[in-house]
Parts: sequence; C-alpha cells; structure tokens
Amino acid sequence: MAATAFHQAIGTLQSNGYFNHSGFQQEFGNAASVRLISKGIEADFGLLRGRYSFRKRNFGVIKASTSQISVFDAVSSPANNTATTTTTTTNGSPKISNEAALILIRHGESLWNEKNLFTGCVDVPLTKKGVEEAIEAGKRISSIPVDMIYTSALIRAQMTAMLAMTQHRRKKVPIVLHNESEQAKAWSKIFSKETKKQCIPVTTAWQLNERMYGELQGLNKQETADRYGKEQVHEWRRSYDIPPPNGESLKMCAQRAVAYFKEHIEPQLLSGKNVMIAAHGNSLRSIIMYLDKLTSQEVISLELSTGIPMLYISKEGKFMRRGSPVAPTEAGVYAYTKGLAVYRQKLDEMFQ
Amino acid sequence: MPLSLCSVFFVKWKVPHFLINKLTSLLVVLLIFRMAATAFHQAVGTLQPHGYVNHSDFHQEFGNVSMRLISNSIKVNFGQLRRGSYCSRERNICVIEASTSQTSVFDPVSSPSNNTTNDSRKKSSEAALILIRHGESLWNEKNLFTGCVDVPLTKKGVEEAIEAGRRIGNIPVDMIYTSALIRAQMTAMLAMTQHRRKKVPIVMHNESEQAKAWSKIFSEETKRQCIPVLTAWQLNERMYGELQGLNKQETADRYGKEQVHEWRRSYDIPPPNGESLKMCAERAVAYFKEQIEPQLLSGKNVMIAAHGNSLRSIIMYLDKLTSQEVISLELSTGIPMLYILKKESL
Repeated sequence: MAATAFHQAIGTLQSNGYFNHSGFQQEFGNAASVRLISKGIEADFGLLRGRYSFRKRNFGVIKASTSQISVFDAVSSPANNTATTTTTTTNGSPKISNEAALILIRHGESLWNEKNLFTGCVDVPLTKKGVEEAIEAGKRISSIPVDMIYTSALIRAQMTAMLAMTQHRRKKVPIVLHNESEQAKAWSKIFSKETKKQCIPVTTAWQLNERMYGELQGLNKQETADRYGKEQVHEWRRSYDIPPPNGESLKMCAQRAVAYFKEHIEPQLLSGKNVMIAAHGNSLRSIIMYLDKLTSQEVISLELSTGIPMLYISKEGKFMRRGSPVAPTEAGVYAYTKGLAVYRQKLDEMFQ
Repeated sequence: MPLSLCSVFFVKWKVPHFLINKLTSLLVVLLIFRMAATAFHQAVGTLQPHGYVNHSDFHQEFGNVSMRLISNSIKVNFGQLRRGSYCSRERNICVIEASTSQTSVFDPVSSPSNNTTNDSRKKSSEAALILIRHGESLWNEKNLFTGCVDVPLTKKGVEEAIEAGRRIGNIPVDMIYTSALIRAQMTAMLAMTQHRRKKVPIVMHNESEQAKAWSKIFSEETKRQCIPVLTAWQLNERMYGELQGLNKQETADRYGKEQVHEWRRSYDIPPPNGESLKMCAERAVAYFKEQIEPQLLSGKNVMIAAHGNSLRSIIMYLDKLTSQEVISLELSTGIPMLYILKKESL
C-alpha cells in the first residue's frame, strides 16, 4: 500500500518544493524532470535540462512520501502484510521473505580525483576525504541489514565498503572471499559454524569496476583536451556508446556490470538476502539504469553523489528506489519499510 | 646481489614523535639517520639501560630489555634479557634516545672529517625499509584465531593505521609491499593518506592479462608520481589451519590448553593443516630475498605492511635471530619499524 500511496502523492509534488539540503537549492530550479515509471503513472515536474542530479530526484521523492500521513498508516498496519509473512530469525533480523534491501555506495574522493586525472581502472586509493566519506556513508546505513557485500576489484571501492561497515551496528563481520587459486581458497577456510553465521561474505568482481578509460588513463583533463581537442573529449566522456581509444564506452561498461548484477546479485536479492554494492560512478549508473529502466539519454545525465548511499527495496522482482538514508544526527521520520523498521528496533534493543 | 661482495648491515630504530615534529625536510631526516648511524655505534657503549624514554607505555618495560644490534661487528647488551618476550618497540626507542641524549655523540659526527666517506657515497647505497604490522581486526576484537581469513580492520585498527602514517610522513617511500589480505592493504593505504610527499600509491594488477591491460597508465609524468603497491600472499599471516575461526576458549576445550599453547608458541609445530612459524618464515623470507631485497639494494625505499608472523620472520632474517629469540619477539601493532640498509664496498 505504501507504493500505492506513493503514487498518489506524486501528483501533488510541487516542482519548487522545500528542500532542506543546502546543495540543492540553486540547482533545482533548472533541472529535474522527474519521470517515475511504475505501474503506469508518469508525472513530469518542470523542465529537463542537460543533467539532473539523481540525489535531488530521490529527495523529491522522499519529501512527497513523508508529507502524506496516510502512507505511514498503510505501512504500519498489519493488514497490509497479509500477503507477506513476517518471521523473526534467531539472530534478530526480521525476514519478510520476499523483500530485501539493496544499498549502493559510490566511493569517495580518490588521490587522482584530487589531481584531476582520468582514473578508470587504475587502482588508485582514497584520500583522507574519501576515507571520511566512506565512514559517513557507513553511519547512514548502520541500521540497515546487510547479508552480502559486492565490490569491484579496485581498492577504493573495497576500502569504502570496509570503512562503512566499521560503523554498522549489527557487528556481523565482513569476510573477503578468495577464489583466485586453490591455495587461496583453502587458506581462507573458516572452521567454526558459529563464526560462519556471523559472517558477511564480501565478493570482489572486476565486472563492477569503473569504466575502463583506455588511453586516457593517467592523463589530466587539460593534457587530454590539448591532445585530442575539447569536443572529442566531451564526446568520450558524455556519450553513451563512443569509447575513448582502447577503452570502454558507457554502453560496454553497462553490459558487463548489469550482466554480473543479473547473474550474481539479483538471485541473492530474490532469495531475501540484503545486499550492499560498493562500486564506481559508471558501474553503478549502469545498474541503476537497469533497476529504474532508464533510457540511454537519461543515464548519461545521471550523476551519482559520492559517499551517499542509495537504498532500493527489492520486492517480488521489482526494485523500488527509496532514496538516501539519513545521517544519524538528522531526524529521520521513517525507515522505508516495516521490515527495516523492525530490524532497527531489534538493534536498538540489542544495544540498550 | 651476492652479499659477500659488500658488507650490508641493518641499523634499526623506530621513529619517535620528536623527530617528526622538528624536521621539515626529507634531506635533514636522511642526514640525521646517517649521522645517527655512525654516532650510534659510538654511543652504544654508553647507553644506560634505564634511560629516558618519552613514550608513556615504555616506562615499565624498559628496564628489562636486552638489545642486540648486529651490524658489522658490534653487539652490545644492555641489562638483562627478560624471559618470555621482549618488545622490539622498546629496543627501537632505546636506540634513538641514546643517540640524541649524548651531546658528545654529535660532535664527532658533525665534524666534516667524519663525513667524507658519507658524502662521497652515492645516494643509492642507502635505503629505508619500513615495517608496519596492521592494527586491530574485527576478529581480534572477538578473540578468534584469524590466520589467513580475510578479516578487515575495526575503527581502532583504522585509527592505528592513520597514526602509523603520521609517524612515517617524512620518510621516503618508493615501493609498497603488502599481503593479499585487506587488513594489511588498508593499513598501507590509510598510512599513506598521511604521507607528505604526495606521490600516489597505485595497486599493481597481474592476476590476468585483462587486469594488467586495464590498469595501464598512459602518462609518463603521472607514472613518475606513482608508488607501485604489490600484493603478495607470501606476506600473509601464518595460516592457522583448522583453528581459523575458532575462539580461544573453544580451542582450549577441543584440543587442551597445553596443545594450543604449543601450536601458538613453538617454532616448528603447525596446528592441524596449518603452518608452523618455521613454514611461514620460509615463504615470507624467500619472498623478501627474491623480490624486496633487490629493490633495497638498488636504493629504493620500501614499506612493507603485513602481519605479526610474516614480519617476525623477516625481522628474524634481518636481525639474524635464533628460533628461540623469534618466538619471544612481540611486534606492536600500528607502530612502524624503520630499518636503514647501508651498503659499503669493502
């Protein structure tokens, strides 16, 4: 019913509605045609200009939901859950069997971001700021269940995941899985069932890597404009299917990232496992393109904020975008679903 | 490079806070190390076992430490060897305090005549080797045997890594080696966020042709500003076999206390399907000799971020410790250890 209520709310959203995030203010006036495609309802707000920030879009959505009291009644009333069964497992995490949380985190500032160099698949670590962004992201998801973690093969995404999880309240332990050789597999075995139950497997996958930037990797943006010309560089950076020399286009990146998602991650979500993906701008955009059924025009305008986690709820094969969980210091009005609210309550009880 | 052609020795100490605060340039640091090395050999004879140490934790332990510096031909004992463990950390601080508390030490050093041989030596004959043991991991916190299970750092471990980074902020680093485990890799990368030099660590990828091709850098300028980071399973923690994941109580119950103590503290008795310290040392030291030592000998400054047992193994090799001594060696977490490799032609 929350989904239904949500659709009703959309119609009343004002395009210049109140936003309490200072960053949004100036940008919002020009951007954001928000096209929500679900169950046949489409609502347009304002004009579409060049780029719109994904973050604002989410925010718009959230504000709509929270201003409708009827939404909450729908969520909290047990009658709505007749279609699903709520069982609480022994470790305290409520299992609504056809619902799972999906968290997407884009890593923060890397040492080459700072130097304004094209990074791509060069394995550059985080700056101090990037480390802080990861920890901050972790605080925002500290009460959202995580059963499995997927990261790229690059250290900046792996560190982001591990740093974020240092903030998690549940205290299950992420364990990086090793399959690169028989020895690696054998050497990383755990011999206690009890311990294994408290583990969150972390799988690293090159398919979640940043878009490979070919011969631009390591060049600075000025150097590149000089060498190839400004328009050409802009075309490589912003087109959907034109790759830089010996590199990947966004389309190619999306192909391998979405294929991996469908093959490995989606089945976990469908079986009720809560998943976190820590990856990169382009691999995450690709996945969002799949989740939100965006067109190539829309995805090239999509900008993902760094270090701000995005939450999706996977239910019966559908993905519902639920925006960014608020930081612990902010007053959060709701917990997105009943299941998540119960989980959070259990955590609160554990730490009384 | 055959060691018989030149005499190579390691002078070791840990980097204290006061050096970090006072020095502002790399050159001065290297100079003081070089001077300190020579001065050290002279000072060694006058070091008092109860000298002043400015690190609060050391105080109680310092009185019982025996230090053995093995270089060219000097070996000096300070006080008694305490049975059980001696902390290499104390050893390090002792050395530094000795150098700086003796004003007479600096006089012969500062006079130019002593430095003629130093000045005429090429820079490539000297290299820094930093060893960092990672800090607290999530299983340390839970008191579980970890071994080669890839467990990440706790908040505290993260802070320890950053603190370690502050201590080495002024020491040159040209190459980084870590184990294949995330807690060591993170320790290295977090430490380097504090490094003043601003060269960029880049993790090398050789696991497949694609990985190699995809990580290529296409700017010479940028490549020059890179510090290659190599990950190696040979630097992993000692593999703990069937004890991995068990808690220490569970294990004592299952196998008996004495047996567990033997596995943990002996040199050559492995836990079931695991490695003994001797086996760990074999693969760690082999890797060091084959891959890392040549870099040091060619003048590259190296940092190794690894684990208790792999680092002890390397220290055993550097300091020529016996198996008895190495099993008593306890390495502090998150406190970097510095070795200077000096090469003198005979």
